[in-house]
Amino acid sequence: MGVKATDVLYYAVHFGELRNIIQWQTWHDPVHNRDPEKESPSLRVCFEFLDKTSRSFSSVIQELHPELLVPIALFYLILRGLDTIEDDMTISLQEKDPLLRNFYKNVEKEGWNYNGNGPDEKDRVLLVQFQNVTEEFRKIKPEYRDIIKDIAKKMGNGMADYCAKAEQNGIAVDTVEDYDLYCHYVAGLVGNGLTRLFVESGLANKALLQRPHLQESMGLFLQKTNIIRDIKEDFDDKRRFWPKEIWSKHVEKFEDLFDPKNKEAALNCSSDMVLNSLNHADQCLFYLAGLKEQSVFNFAAIPQSMAIATLELVFRNPAIFQKNVKITKGEACRIMMQSTQNLQKVCEIFRQYARKIHKKNTPRDPNFLKISIACGKIEQFIESIFPSQDPKVIAAAQSAAKLAAPPPANEAEAKSAAQAEEAKWDTIYLLLAVFGTLFVISSLMIGVAVYFGARFDVAFNQLKQGQFGKPSDAASIIEKYDHGEL
Amino acid sequence: MGISVLITGGIGFLGTFIVEATREQHPEWNITVLDLHLPKIPKPDISYEVGDVTDLASVTGIVDKTKPNVIIHTAGLVPELAGRYGREQRNRVFNINVNGTRNMLAAAKNAGVRAFVWTGSCCAVVDDMRYQYPNIDERWPTSSHSLIYGESKTAAEALVLSANDEKFSTCALRPSVLFGPGDHQLVPSVHACIAKGETPFVIGDGDNLWDVTYVGNIADAHVLAVENLLSSTKTAAGEAIFISNEQPITFRDFCLAVWREFGHIPPYEFHIPLSIASFAGYVAEWVTWFTGTPTTLSRGGVLDACAVRYCTGEKARKLLGYRPRIGIEEGIKISCKYMAVDGPKEYAQRLKLQNANEPKP
Repeated sequence: MGVKATDVLYYAVHFGELRNIIQWQTWHDPVHNRDPEKESPSLRVCFEFLDKTSRSFSSVIQELHPELLVPIALFYLILRGLDTIEDDMTISLQEKDPLLRNFYKNVEKEGWNYNGNGPDEKDRVLLVQFQNVTEEFRKIKPEYRDIIKDIAKKMGNGMADYCAKAEQNGIAVDTVEDYDLYCHYVAGLVGNGLTRLFVESGLANKALLQRPHLQESMGLFLQKTNIIRDIKEDFDDKRRFWPKEIWSKHVEKFEDLFDPKNKEAALNCSSDMVLNSLNHADQCLFYLAGLKEQSVFNFAAIPQSMAIATLELVFRNPAIFQKNVKITKGEACRIMMQSTQNLQKVCEIFRQYARKIHKKNTPRDPNFLKISIACGKIEQFIESIFPSQDPKVIAAAQSAAKLAAPPPANEAEAKSAAQAEEAKWDTIYLLLAVFGTLFVISSLMIGVAVYFGARFDVAFNQLKQGQFGKPSDAASIIEKYDHGEL
Repeated sequence: MGISVLITGGIGFLGTFIVEATREQHPEWNITVLDLHLPKIPKPDISYEVGDVTDLASVTGIVDKTKPNVIIHTAGLVPELAGRYGREQRNRVFNINVNGTRNMLAAAKNAGVRAFVWTGSCCAVVDDMRYQYPNIDERWPTSSHSLIYGESKTAAEALVLSANDEKFSTCALRPSVLFGPGDHQLVPSVHACIAKGETPFVIGDGDNLWDVTYVGNIADAHVLAVENLLSSTKTAAGEAIFISNEQPITFRDFCLAVWREFGHIPPYEFHIPLSIASFAGYVAEWVTWFTGTPTTLSRGGVLDACAVRYCTGEKARKLLGYRPRIGIEEGIKISCKYMAVDGPKEYAQRLKLQNANEPKP
């Protein structure tokens, strides 16, 4: 990893972030470690692919519970394979369509691979040497295999439909419904597949299977946030995922978003997109509450925490239309440290970023109130799973106070209580007046006495020495006090 | 047998909406309104009775005469902001809110009324300013040592709930701060901040969430409560239930949304730390005491501005099947439009009558 001069400068100023990076790299203790010694050569190749194709997922996958380590690594590579075919604009639709739809069958074929990708496709080599993946895939438990194949089948069909539509109409993501459907195929299904793998392995709560919308949100929150962040990169690659239904409210043509002239409109459009994504956030936290095993929790929680941080970064940030923005490595390390502890820490991250989003929100934005309500909903959800107040404590404090001062039950009692209160204060005022007068008069008398030469200091010392009577020779005693040191 | 409903305070802000919601959802019911005076424009299919809830003879006479099966007792007094934190108005507030309720309960029970729905307030719980109230539900205790309004609602609620028995079903609704067209307190005083140049100032961190509820939704909850008490299951009988818009937002954002409706966006934002605001409030209270003229600022007001007060809303959903029909955003639009149509003249007059800025339900 090369170190850039700008990075050095950045971390010289943001020392806290540098500390986060060092802490993460020195102190992070993986829950599980894979053991490359015991792995077959083809599996080792698979993990090399994993490192190459995904920087962010690779490390969390490799720390997974041994039961799920290989199935999830292969699941990732299979989906990445599908993605590499779908993304490649050099493959014709006639060739692409059956490839995508039959991909789930090919993953089990011995020695299957594909070298039809264009030379510029970055993950081309994965498909060229895909026989390593198919070989390992055939070794995993049939239950896991069925789940992964089922998802690959559904995703392949969804992607094929999307490609056909894109070729036909030019715009594939027209309505918000299309947008949700597209995200369902590429991410919602992953959430479903992973949930089934977690439950099958006994590492997650079965109840998650009964809540498909939570699984869906897990995928959609990540995907939608990435789609917002990658707007510029996708636009340059001639891909458009922002639904027309949303952008057409703010600009006439999609290209207008990138024109600095339309900065305000583009920002409003991006917050419309952020709002759409933000509405999934509380369901992601709900889902995470169902994960029991620490490595599975980390695996699922880290990307979600990164997503809420990214969402805050892209919210009302005009830079997204000019370049690819990213959270800094220091921030990423802090998020990873907190996300690998427990749900409460993850909730803190969500609350922190929801508040940051809320701070950036402005009434100039047409979605101002909706965003404010969405942030409130996240806070309310966190409060519902981790209440900061206990009604029993308040009730106990109140009944203790009631014992100390019984509340007025009716008007008459209230009146007498008020009278008693008044009487009490009358007494206090009276006492204050008496002592006040005494104090003033005594001060006056003492003052006058001192003024005329009274020696209270001498008198006090005499008293201390136990001489209560009249001193025999006052003048000599005073003499002694005044010049004692000489 | 037809249903006949007596609605006290039916000419007031919330009362008008309750009458409207009842009539709209149950056109077959007979509605009688009991209030201190007759409305300027009476509605044709509604009967009106003039009476005072603090006068037992007056209300007994009206209840005996109209023989309702249902009473919605919504008449009450909310002290204006200047009186909210003091104790000067205690007797007046208690007389109307507590004695009035006691009289209505006695008259109702005596006349064989079946269902009694009473408009309480979340203030019975949240006016005790020693605590914050995030995501609260009905397990939280009511407080009898808070502010006069909250204390009065606590005392009256205890009367309402203990009056519940087999033949006489009672229910207490606890709406949050409310707003809507015709509201004299919340939206007009938020709007007034624009003219006073107070919009850039935020007390505290501004992250504290509130429930703010559109008046029409609260009216719906009253009708649902009546329906529940008349049903065979009567699950809401003897229960106190929070009513909200189920959209907790920061009070600051509510204000910003109102100001935006009037085309105003604060030019900058200035955060005043809680401790400094609290001290300023303390000084202002002494100035008030010394000069005799109330100031906008007080320590109570500062605490209100920084308070966290929102409920889960689960009991209302479960028992009453309540869901807010109008969202906050739509509610704000309706309210601000009403204010604009009302004309600046009438509005200016109202402003003179009040110097409040954060009233309570």
